[in-house]
Order: sequence, then C-alpha cells, then structure tokens
Amino acid sequence: MKKLRWVAMAVLVVAMGAALGANYIAPAGYEHQFRESPGASPSAQHLLGTDELGRDRFARLLYGARVSLVLAPLAAGISTMLAAFFGGMAGYFGGWMERLSLMVVDLFLSIPWLFLLISVRAVLPLNVSPQSSVIVTFLLLGFLGWAASARVICAGTRDMMKSEFVGLARATGFSGVKLVRLHLLPNLRGTLLAQFWISIPVFIITEANLSALGLGVSEPLPSLGSLLRELQNVVTLRPEPWRFVPLAVLVVVVSCFQILLNRSSVEQYKAVLREDM
Amino acid sequence: MLRSPWFKLMALKLLRLSAIMLIAGFIGATLMRIAPGFTSDEQQLNSNLSAQSLQAIRQARLANSDLPRFYLRYLGGLARGDLGVSQSLNQPVQELLRERLPVTLRSLAVALMLAWILGLSLAAATRLSGSPAFTLTADGLSGTLISTPAAVLALVFVVLRWPPVLAAGLLIFPKIYRYCCNLLQQSYDLPHILTAQAKGAGPWRVLARHVAPTAMPQLLALMGVSISIAIGVLLPIEVICDVPGIGQLAWQAAEARDLPLLVNLTLVVTLLIVCATTLSDLARQGFNREAA
Repeated sequence: MKKLRWVAMAVLVVAMGAALGANYIAPAGYEHQFRESPGASPSAQHLLGTDELGRDRFARLLYGARVSLVLAPLAAGISTMLAAFFGGMAGYFGGWMERLSLMVVDLFLSIPWLFLLISVRAVLPLNVSPQSSVIVTFLLLGFLGWAASARVICAGTRDMMKSEFVGLARATGFSGVKLVRLHLLPNLRGTLLAQFWISIPVFIITEANLSALGLGVSEPLPSLGSLLRELQNVVTLRPEPWRFVPLAVLVVVVSCFQILLNRSSVEQYKAVLREDM
Repeated sequence: MLRSPWFKLMALKLLRLSAIMLIAGFIGATLMRIAPGFTSDEQQLNSNLSAQSLQAIRQARLANSDLPRFYLRYLGGLARGDLGVSQSLNQPVQELLRERLPVTLRSLAVALMLAWILGLSLAAATRLSGSPAFTLTADGLSGTLISTPAAVLALVFVVLRWPPVLAAGLLIFPKIYRYCCNLLQQSYDLPHILTAQAKGAGPWRVLARHVAPTAMPQLLALMGVSISIAIGVLLPIEVICDVPGIGQLAWQAAEARDLPLLVNLTLVVTLLIVCATTLSDLARQGFNREAA
C-alpha cells in the first residue's frame, strides 16, 4: 500500500509539473488553430491529433489540466477556510451557536450539490467571459462545498475544547484569539489539511460533470471537464481512442488523490453521518 | 404522551425540518429576486400595449422587488401548494413535478437497491474471503468508479445501450462499499466479536449475530445520506441518457435560466432528502434504544 501511495504521489507530481509547464511543453496555445489540419489523427506534430476546429488536443489537455489542477486547490482552500470558520465557531462556542451552525451545515448537506450549483450558476449574467466562467465555476465550488468538512472540524474543535491542555491554557489566562492562534489552530492543522486535500478530487469531478453538461468552464478555455464534451460526439464517429486520453488523465489524477486520501475521506464520511455528534 | 421522549424527539425533528425548509425557501426566493431581469417583463416590449398597461406591469414587478415581502408571498404560495409557473415551458411547476417525479423516484429506488446490494455484498465478501486479490479487485473497481464523472459513465451506457439506472447504481456503489468496508473492519476489531471468534463461532454466524447488529445504526444513517448522493448522481445521467425525470428538468431549467422552476425543483428535492435523512435518523435512534 505504501508503494502504491508513492506511485500515486509521483503521478500527481508529474501531472502538476506538466500542467504548470504547459507554456514550454505544449506545441501551441490552447486556442491556436491549425486550419490546414482540422480533425487530424495523432502524429509527431500533434501527439493527440487536432479537434474539429484544428486545435492541438495535447496542448488543450495540458492547459486544461493546469486550469483544473490549479483552480481546484484554490476552491478547496476557500471551502476549507469557510469550514474552519463555521465548524471552528460551532466547536469553540458550543451551545446555541453550535446548534445554529450545524443547522446551516445540515441545510447545505441536504441540498443536492449539483442542483444548488446549477441554480446559482443560472443566476449569473449570460455575458461572462470564458476566463470569468472558469473562475466563477471554481469559486462556486469553493463557496458551496464546505459543509461536510465543517462537521469534521466542529467535532475536532469540540474534542479539543474538552482536552486537558486547552483547559490548562484557559486556566492560565489564554482566551479568544490567543487560544485559537496558539493552541487550536496548530492542533487542528492536520484535520484542516486533510479536508483541503479531500476537497480537491471532489471539485475536479464536480467541475467535470458541470462542464460535460455545458454549465461549467466555457469555450475556448479548456479544463479536464470541458475536454470531456468532445466525447459526446463519439457515438456518431469512428472509434478514435486518443479522444479518451483526457478522460483517462482525469480518472488517473482523481484516483491518485483517492489513494492518497483514502483514510481521511472515510473520516469525513463518518462526520457527515454524525457518528460522533 | 406529550411528555414521552419519542414524542419530544419527533417534535424536535419536525422543528429542524421546518427550519431547514424555511432557510432553503429564503435562499431560493433570494436567488430568484437577484436574478438578472427580475424587475422587467417580456410583455413590456409589446408595442400593442397601452401606456397604462405597461405602467401596471411595471408596478406589479416593482411590488415584488422588496425581498421580505416577496419571500412572504412566495411562502404563502408554497403553503397553498402553488409552486408557480415555469417560464420556459409555460406550464405549472406542480404539473411538471407530477409528470417527472415518479420517473426519478423509480430510478432512485432501483439505483439505490443495486448500489446497496453490490456495496454491502462486496464489502462482506472482501472481509469474509480475506483474499488480497479479491480485495484489490473490489478496491480497484470502486476506485475507478469513484473517479469517473457521472456524465462520462452515462455516455458509455448510451453507447452500449445499457439501462441508465445501472450506471447510477454503479456510481453510488463505491461510496457505500468504502464506508461498509471501514465499518466492518471496525466492528470486527471490537472485543466481544473477537471473543466470539475465539470461542469458535463460524464466520457467517459472527457476521449475522454480532457484526450486523453492531453496524446497523451506522448503516441506517448511511441509507439517508445515500439518497442525497443518488439524487446528485441521477442529474447528469438523466440529462445524458435522455430520461424525463427531475434531473433533466432541472438541467433544462438551468439552460433556459428558468429560475422559478429550478428553485422550486431544488426545494422539492431538498424536502425529499431532509425527510429521508430524518426518517433514517429516527430509525437509527429507535434501533439504538431497542439495543440498549
């Protein structure tokens, strides 16, 4: 299992490196059209061929991976901060504050995520640029996807508030911001980091579903999800296995995250089921 | 009767359900209110209307611009069962729900049944067999499925002409499988189960008599949560596989920016999920009480 984790880590490092180095590795920009060769098969010049508009698929895959692998952690950061705020407040203060916060958490957990996302997405103006659409999509993921993590953080904070070392700190005059900064946050760091890493594959998959439905990142900007839209034409086309490479990359990247985070995601699941509430 | 703990629990659950639905309704009403173009009406572009009619339309729209008043009116409508009219389909939302909800509920029931049978039996089989190859295969299958976007699996099923509900079942299965594996692992490590095994109880007897009752409360809670997971999974599947259910309707509403329809659909689905999780919570607490 340890070996598998190392392999997963190596794959993620390579994927991240390739995505960040897209400017140097990709043969062209993601929107550059090779008008003389639309729909070309793989060749030395175009490793994965070109799409119907003559854009290099390999370049779009690298830039798409960059969008997903850079912005999903950003969204995960936002959701972890929100979860830390709501969950931390609930666990720290307890009583009615905890009940109120957990009710908001329950509300967010009760509304199916995709329904909420498409509702909020539908409110946005029609004339958003592709760059704005990608930022909006990931911001929405960040702002709406914090509830499950908040439960875990609430439970962690509550346990810590009952611990002896926090009791001792309070007895020696620590309270408020000082207690949070010097005792709670350093000890919750592991939980917060786990929640941050768990959210990344979830957001990548959700963005993929949204984009495949035409409600995520808009053309010509690519993301791992929006590249899957090309698969919708596969039904009517001759078999072209290289079209499935973005899907394979997505599945491999998300699987690697799952391998690295297996235990933490079960912990989150337990909190959602309120085993420890 | 009013003082019985069961009655108190029910009352608390109902109170929580009502509070959640009130907040969800408020979020829905706010979304509709802030949507672009809320204060204007298409009829205002009709050149055949008189200045007085146009003024009346404008006044009617402006009357709704006050959010608290709009929310109260919206709540009043909901209380009377009036979910409004879909802007894009020009049909009452209630009628659309009557047509589409049974389709989704049927898919939901079948997909959940498939996922639970597959998830629970595979988790029990990996535990009972103890074979690393079997465990690796089951983990690999669940890992691949959990990493596959629902829209892509739905597409594969369209190409293969397989029933979409099977895709939904396969996508829900890994979440149930993973949790069940963990739960079984924890249960088998409990002292009384180790004692039963040490006294020579067979694997099936240990599973049925000792592990199952220990794991039951958590499994009941997972049942409630799995409904929420299933509804999220069904949306892209219904869209890609052209299944005329709630998910497809929500997607059509999002594409047409039909906020009244979309928000009301979200509310109905939220109500379904809250009721399901409340019931599973009550069942879990009932089970715990009986076990105690």
